[in-house]
Amino acid sequence: MTGMNTPVAWVAGALDSRLAPKAREFQTRARQELRSGADDTRFSGLISLASRYVGAVPLAPSAAELTAAATAVPGWNPQRWTLRECSRVDLVLTRSQQDSEGGIHAIESAFAFADMGELCALYRSLALLPRPERFAARAAEGARTNIRAVFEAAICDTPFPVRYFDDVAWRQCVVKALFIEAPLWRVVGLDERLDAELARMALDLAEERHSAGRHVNPQLWLCLGPHGGERGFAALLRELEGDGPVDCRAAAALGLGRLDAKTRARAELATRAARESDGTIRSALLLAQSGAVTQQAFQSFDGPVPKVV
Amino acid sequence: MRFFDPHIHCTSRTTDDLEAMAAAGVRAVVEPAFWLGQPRTTLGSFIDYFSALVGWERFRASQFGIAHYCAIGLNSKEANNEGLAREVLEILPRFALKEGVVAIGEIGYDEITQAEERAYQWQLDFAQKNDMVVMVHSPHRDKKHGIRRSLAVAQECKLPLHKLVIDHNNEETVQDVLDAGAWAAFTIYPFTKMGSERMVEILKKYGPERLIVDSSADWGVSDPLAVPRTAALMLKQGIDPEWVRRVTWQNALDAYGQSGQIDVEQLEKSPQIDQSKLFNDNSVLRGQAPRVPGPQPSGVPN
Repeated sequence: MTGMNTPVAWVAGALDSRLAPKAREFQTRARQELRSGADDTRFSGLISLASRYVGAVPLAPSAAELTAAATAVPGWNPQRWTLRECSRVDLVLTRSQQDSEGGIHAIESAFAFADMGELCALYRSLALLPRPERFAARAAEGARTNIRAVFEAAICDTPFPVRYFDDVAWRQCVVKALFIEAPLWRVVGLDERLDAELARMALDLAEERHSAGRHVNPQLWLCLGPHGGERGFAALLRELEGDGPVDCRAAAALGLGRLDAKTRARAELATRAARESDGTIRSALLLAQSGAVTQQAFQSFDGPVPKVV
Repeated sequence: MRFFDPHIHCTSRTTDDLEAMAAAGVRAVVEPAFWLGQPRTTLGSFIDYFSALVGWERFRASQFGIAHYCAIGLNSKEANNEGLAREVLEILPRFALKEGVVAIGEIGYDEITQAEERAYQWQLDFAQKNDMVVMVHSPHRDKKHGIRRSLAVAQECKLPLHKLVIDHNNEETVQDVLDAGAWAAFTIYPFTKMGSERMVEILKKYGPERLIVDSSADWGVSDPLAVPRTAALMLKQGIDPEWVRRVTWQNALDAYGQSGQIDVEQLEKSPQIDQSKLFNDNSVLRGQAPRVPGPQPSGVPN
């Protein structure tokens, strides 16, 4: 895997084995143009033009490639990238190497003129750039979008939020993921950056939903971790024992499994599992009993939140 | 039936409209850049507007199973603010070559001034160099003369006329446009421009070759269902269904498909709307049950 230990090399390598001849020619020519000093207009023009040469097909990285990516930049997961996004990220990284300031003006200008697909690629590139912290305000802007694809590109499968967001931006992006029903379990480093304040925000939101007669997003319980306290314990039990959809109840069971060991013990999870007739909820209770409930355990709840009809 | 409305200003329409359009069978639209009913004063307003056409509006339409394409251009009215017009033309290439931009438009004449002509020529030249389709807005006042001039200047700029769509035609202008080899589009407006009944008569007289029906629905009194309604009237009056299909679907697809930006195969498929997947009840849907995949109802009473 030597030669793939920087994002630049990884992206170039991934493209090299996948681009069709015409697309490869475009990529090579575009890199050359950037190296010979193409201006900002041309730079964002090249990012647009990628749509005419490179298909928006899944990149489908191999297991070895995914490992190499996570080695190059811990937390970077390009599993859901498209080939076109990879092509565009390659152009952004190439541009960032052309001046002493890492291409920040060119890249910010590309954001200002970007369409939906370009925004996704630009956000995916941020964690891979030199001194990524310079783009913290830009990435926080990505967390404000209501276009889910753009939100996911900015916030999921990237170490950017956990590493570079301040506490306010971090908690906002986590709660926003619940609002737009984005997969919170794919927010890298979530388990390592939970706190009492985020738990309080999540519990307030759960109460709002209950008052409005709506179901609670099953992923909301991820936000509690060991910081739920007595209030979290009561809310989880109420959800588990309620008459909501199976996913909502199973997620509450998992949430109980994330509480601190002492509180968890009071939930009598094994007894509940033995009594439970629903298979999904029983499995969740058993996993919760073991206490080994990471954010990945919430993977099956990233569909739409059931609507009350 | 399914319909292609190749001229509608979705930025001015509500989600009720998008929902009704989808229910009536509208499967694809072109949203050309125009003015906002009043003139913009800064370049930034144009940048944000163009950006919405390739971003938020495309996303919004997609939530209702409507494929949204757009045309980018400096409209004739605002071409008269020459300082701002120059700035707009300078940034225009940053949007015009993006994915899903099927034409330069809507451009052309309003008062038929020198400033309008310069902006029109510049954009025709850009379109010609980049092998693009052009959507021309024909003026309300002095329409016949304006259309003849639009055709002549396009020819001077060496734009192949099969890449030119002249919009807002009427009984008096259609022959000139067809004779020149361009596409003749008709806007069905409740009070001004063209009514559905008149459109039926034009179709009977000229046949379906290179005729296109659109709504141009915008912020004024207009009808986002004009295309399906007109199709229903055509069928009721005994027009060959194949003719109706051509003027409300196929011709628009052929004209704007020349851009290479329409995935025809994808468009031919039954729409798979899944608002629950991409949607967000804090943005467009606000609490209502999402629309889930399945066959869409079609047809709308006239």
